[in-house]
Amino acid sequence: MTNLLTLITFVPLFGALAILAVPKEKTKAIHAIGLIAAAISFVLSLLALGQFDKASSAMQLVEKAAWIPSFGVNYHLGIDGLSLPMVLLTTLLTLVSLIFSMSVENRVKEYWFWFLVLDVGMLGVFVSLDFFLFYVFWELTLVPMYFLIGIWGGPKKEFAAIKFFLYTLFGSVFMLLGILALYFTSTPHTFDITELMKLHPGWSESFQITLFIAFYLGFAIKVPAFPFHTWLPLAHVEAPTAVSVILAGVLLKMGGYGLLRVSYSVLPLGFKWFLPILIVIAFINIVYGALCAMAQTDMKKMVAYSSVNHMGYCLLGLAGVTATGFNGAVMQMVAHGLVTGALFLLVGVIYDRAHTRDMSAFGGLGAKLPIYTALMTVTVFASLGLPGLAGFVGEFLCFLGAFQRFKLFTALSVLGILVTAAFFLRMIQKVFLGPLNQKWANLEDMSWREIIAVAPLTALTVYLGVWPRPALDLMNPTINNMIQSLAAVFK
Amino acid sequence: MLEHVYLIPLLPLAAAVTLVFLGKEGPHSKMPFLSVATMGWCLLQSSAILWSAMTGAAHLPYAASMPWFEFGEYPMSLGVLIDGPAAMMLFVVTLVSFLMQVYSIAYMHGDPRFKRYFAYVSFFTASMLGLVVSSNLLVVFSCWELMGVSSYLLIGFWFEKPGPAYASKKAFITTKVGDLGFYLGMLIIFAYAGTFDLTMLRERVAMGAAYLPAHAATAAGLCLLFGAVGKSAQWPLFIWLPDAMEGPTPVSALIHAATMVAAGIYLVARTYFIYQASPLAMDAVAWIGLVTAFMAASMALVSYDIKRVLAFSTVSQLGYMMLALGVGGYSAGLFHLTTHAFFKALLFLGAGSVIHSVHSNDMREMGGLSKKMIVTFATMTIATLAIAGFPFSSGYYSKEAVLGAVYAHSPAMWAAALFTAAMTTFYMFRLIFMTFLGEARDHEKEHHAHESPALMTIPLCVLAVLSVCSGWILEHFGLVEHLFGLPSAVVHGAEHAAKAVEAAGAAAEHGAAAANHAAGHPASHPAFLVPAALSAFAAGLGISWKLYASGDFTTATKIKQTFGPVFTLLEKRYYFDDFFLFLVDLSDRLAAACFWVDANIVDRIFVDGWGLVTILLAEIENFIDAVFVDGLVDASGWVSRQAGAGLRTLVTGQVQEYLLYVALAVSVFIIQMLTMR
Amino acid sequence: MTLYHYLAVSAALFCIGIFGALTRRNVIGILMGIELMFNAANINLAAFNRFLHPNAVVGQSVSLFIITVAAAEVVVGLALVLAIYRNIQTIYAEDYNLLKG
Repeated sequence: MTNLLTLITFVPLFGALAILAVPKEKTKAIHAIGLIAAAISFVLSLLALGQFDKASSAMQLVEKAAWIPSFGVNYHLGIDGLSLPMVLLTTLLTLVSLIFSMSVENRVKEYWFWFLVLDVGMLGVFVSLDFFLFYVFWELTLVPMYFLIGIWGGPKKEFAAIKFFLYTLFGSVFMLLGILALYFTSTPHTFDITELMKLHPGWSESFQITLFIAFYLGFAIKVPAFPFHTWLPLAHVEAPTAVSVILAGVLLKMGGYGLLRVSYSVLPLGFKWFLPILIVIAFINIVYGALCAMAQTDMKKMVAYSSVNHMGYCLLGLAGVTATGFNGAVMQMVAHGLVTGALFLLVGVIYDRAHTRDMSAFGGLGAKLPIYTALMTVTVFASLGLPGLAGFVGEFLCFLGAFQRFKLFTALSVLGILVTAAFFLRMIQKVFLGPLNQKWANLEDMSWREIIAVAPLTALTVYLGVWPRPALDLMNPTINNMIQSLAAVFK
Repeated sequence: MLEHVYLIPLLPLAAAVTLVFLGKEGPHSKMPFLSVATMGWCLLQSSAILWSAMTGAAHLPYAASMPWFEFGEYPMSLGVLIDGPAAMMLFVVTLVSFLMQVYSIAYMHGDPRFKRYFAYVSFFTASMLGLVVSSNLLVVFSCWELMGVSSYLLIGFWFEKPGPAYASKKAFITTKVGDLGFYLGMLIIFAYAGTFDLTMLRERVAMGAAYLPAHAATAAGLCLLFGAVGKSAQWPLFIWLPDAMEGPTPVSALIHAATMVAAGIYLVARTYFIYQASPLAMDAVAWIGLVTAFMAASMALVSYDIKRVLAFSTVSQLGYMMLALGVGGYSAGLFHLTTHAFFKALLFLGAGSVIHSVHSNDMREMGGLSKKMIVTFATMTIATLAIAGFPFSSGYYSKEAVLGAVYAHSPAMWAAALFTAAMTTFYMFRLIFMTFLGEARDHEKEHHAHESPALMTIPLCVLAVLSVCSGWILEHFGLVEHLFGLPSAVVHGAEHAAKAVEAAGAAAEHGAAAANHAAGHPASHPAFLVPAALSAFAAGLGISWKLYASGDFTTATKIKQTFGPVFTLLEKRYYFDDFFLFLVDLSDRLAAACFWVDANIVDRIFVDGWGLVTILLAEIENFIDAVFVDGLVDASGWVSRQAGAGLRTLVTGQVQEYLLYVALAVSVFIIQMLTMR
Repeated sequence: MTLYHYLAVSAALFCIGIFGALTRRNVIGILMGIELMFNAANINLAAFNRFLHPNAVVGQSVSLFIITVAAAEVVVGLALVLAIYRNIQTIYAEDYNLLKG
């Protein structure tokens, strides 16, 4: 199939349009269409994995067609070892979240429609190789997210939605400026990312630094990097469960992906200039994020802050500018998507039953809900970086990579691991251990739908933790090539 | 057999997974027998490996590996590295685990989570065995952490009770503090040496500054030591082990006496070549060991909880091993590690038997149990003699080896270690006397006391036999040197380094220093060492007999009153618990402060503040808009309105009036046309 | 008889018609005035046709048109007047103020 990437990206869109044609009372039909569309997209992405040549670092499955020829805008898609893991993560998490979302009862039709549109935007960001297209998809994710948080969210949903929207828009406006600057600087004018990657030797350092800052604002808000992270706890807490999964699992990754794909590859001198600041930001993200998480009593908010901490590991890996660190960063993004996605689902499970997420309201659930406890424990341990689970591989490689360049801050960042363990175990103790709080004597264990949503993530977490080879082999050639081609700059 | 050594950790893992997913849970589940059988097979395999290692049939060290994953240009491998200590550890771990599981069938019978208990134990054993055999430091670390988790799960096995729930978390977090050291140590090692493979690492370290310069070796050594301090409950991170006694007693025997806590010692032994490259790190090992041994022994003097006494004793003995390693007594440390595993597991299982019988941990509520529990009493006494170093017991040989090595290094340290040995004898016999001799103090409990079933006493007997004879066997047949002798790779490494041109000088010096260290273990010790140790034993026993054997504690109480502050200090565990609680509290406050900053400064001022400024600007603009821009528009409207109001008087709605206007207009028009002409 | 005679009659008729339309209170009267003005125009048309272009019939045919249209107009007008009368029981034009605000 020559149009595989187009199909992967736009099948959800067809699903969304089909849902529009169904009467809103027929929720079963809506569920079926949505799930089928997401499943097709997922299967096609697996097919792409099969067709992908792991040994090559080149762009693969490339599709290119003129779109707006007068401005040099092309419809240019392609994947390499950097984007394929992200595409797989997106299709998987979307499918899983949709399975979980079958419990949504309010305005079902619109919910599923927006969810699938969101999927299109996210996939598009990861496969597009043209800045114009990239930006279109990038912005496309905002609108569905705005509605998903604003309509189906918690008590402060409107505020959270508008804050999320404006904050990210603020960042992307600067990114747009950056894109335009790149376009007008290049001769002949082009939006093509692969072309622009080759042009950096001709640009001055100050130009690259300026553009780096513009792009960084866009990406850092998405990551989120301190001090641009405060939309995240709010949005996460207010968003419905499945949306939190996507938000943490995929949307944050767009920031990390952008830093690698654009900031590092297109503007290496800017990236290099920023490294000493980046390591400090990574350190703050890790330790400060973990400490903020420790102060929470709301489980979801705690998980949200732990995302700040985990994405700090990504930044740490990036700051190392070694193949080890980059591998770690991408691996950490994948692992964080799986693990934190599962965590949000699990918090959603308990919230659906108890209508509270306050840790101290629970107690002793371990004996009452064995399946839930087991899944939660495994996921929590994965999140705090237990070896043998996916979280550890990424985190450790990030540290390993960064330590070669920045010894002090990397060593200090290790403290974050301790704090992470502390707050997660405290959560386990408060919720699952101790005597059973009689208030919850009638709580039911997870339903099949919930288990089906969470179990694949848990299984993958264990698999990639024990045997990270499939994931690392996928990204290693691309990352090696990225490092080697710019080795001279970062020497 | 050696080529299938990887099965030894993998099979218990498989058993654990099977136990989790298959079979029915319940107090009478039959699934645990799968776990016991697996461990039995592992025990047979390990015994065979150990036998071939002893006889020299197997060529050690044996190494084999397969690729695991790659990142950048670095390959990671999964592999096994079996040397003498590893072979011995395999045997010790599988044996204690097997006996403990047999014992647990009786001890845990009737627990609603009977199956799960065995799943956890199998999982723990798998991780421990993985740690023992692994050739890759990263895998060692992984198993190290997995052991931490299984320890967490097992300490908190009765998680409905607040005590275990709290203790499990405390144990995990405290060891995690140590793990950070291990983590950093690995980062340092990889940054300099670029590998985690122990064999390769050994070669590279021997090449000295080309890979691991002295300061890096010191840093790496200290960091790894910190990891070992956490896991082996050494000063200052020993606080978790006494609380870990909240777990089921067989677990304490397996994890918190014989195996997991020994992992720290084993790690230091496994990475001994790094310490040999750094005298400073070596000294740190020795001092940590000495301080721990002394402090823990002193705390054991005043505890009344039978398991806590044993926990402190474990900490103290581990300190001994650390001390031995630190002073260059590599083989002595590992020797003591082996014998200690036997008699300490025995002590814990015996204590479990007592607790099982009287349903209490408090020694003040026991007494006179020797009549009712003869097997337990006999075996525990044997173990106590062993730990105290009674001649020709296993502890005698290993302790002599340790003390000899310490004396060769520093007589002052030797004196402190000897004093600790006297204390050990004292508190161990205090335990025996208080529990088994004298009159029953709680008749209700004494009345119900009974000997434990055979499933529990048979493991005790097996361990008792080993506690008696393992020392003699290892010493007599020269197996201590054969199994625990330092590998010659250091010398080989030194030659290798001498060839490396760029680093020749520094590296050779390191190699030489290391070789001296290895040789620093003299063949014979001064003659007075053995009598001194024996008199320490006699003194400890004598005082203990005087104070506790009669069951009348008036003298002991008097002493306690006289030295009140000292006792309080010891009972409060030197206030280390309070210190760490203070740290926890501090970090909580820090967390709260961070969150306050995040919510009120970063978010409210930095982000929402921007929003407010924007809103303010919008208000200003709105004002301008409303007053000036809109005013202009409104003004034009006003003019039209006024004009309309004037004109409306002309419009009456009378058709005829309009017609009149038309007629008039036409007339005017006509008149004008006519006059224009 | 010359053209001027016809034109004089026509002008007189028109003036009577406009006077009637402007001064009558009765809507029927106004309509009658309007009819007079129509007929004044018709006379003019016929006269001009007769005196200026005797061979053509354009003027006559247009006057025939006007007669037809005037008839239709009167029908509509009377129907409206009837409808209004049914509603407000008056045929005096000054009372027709339903649209007045």
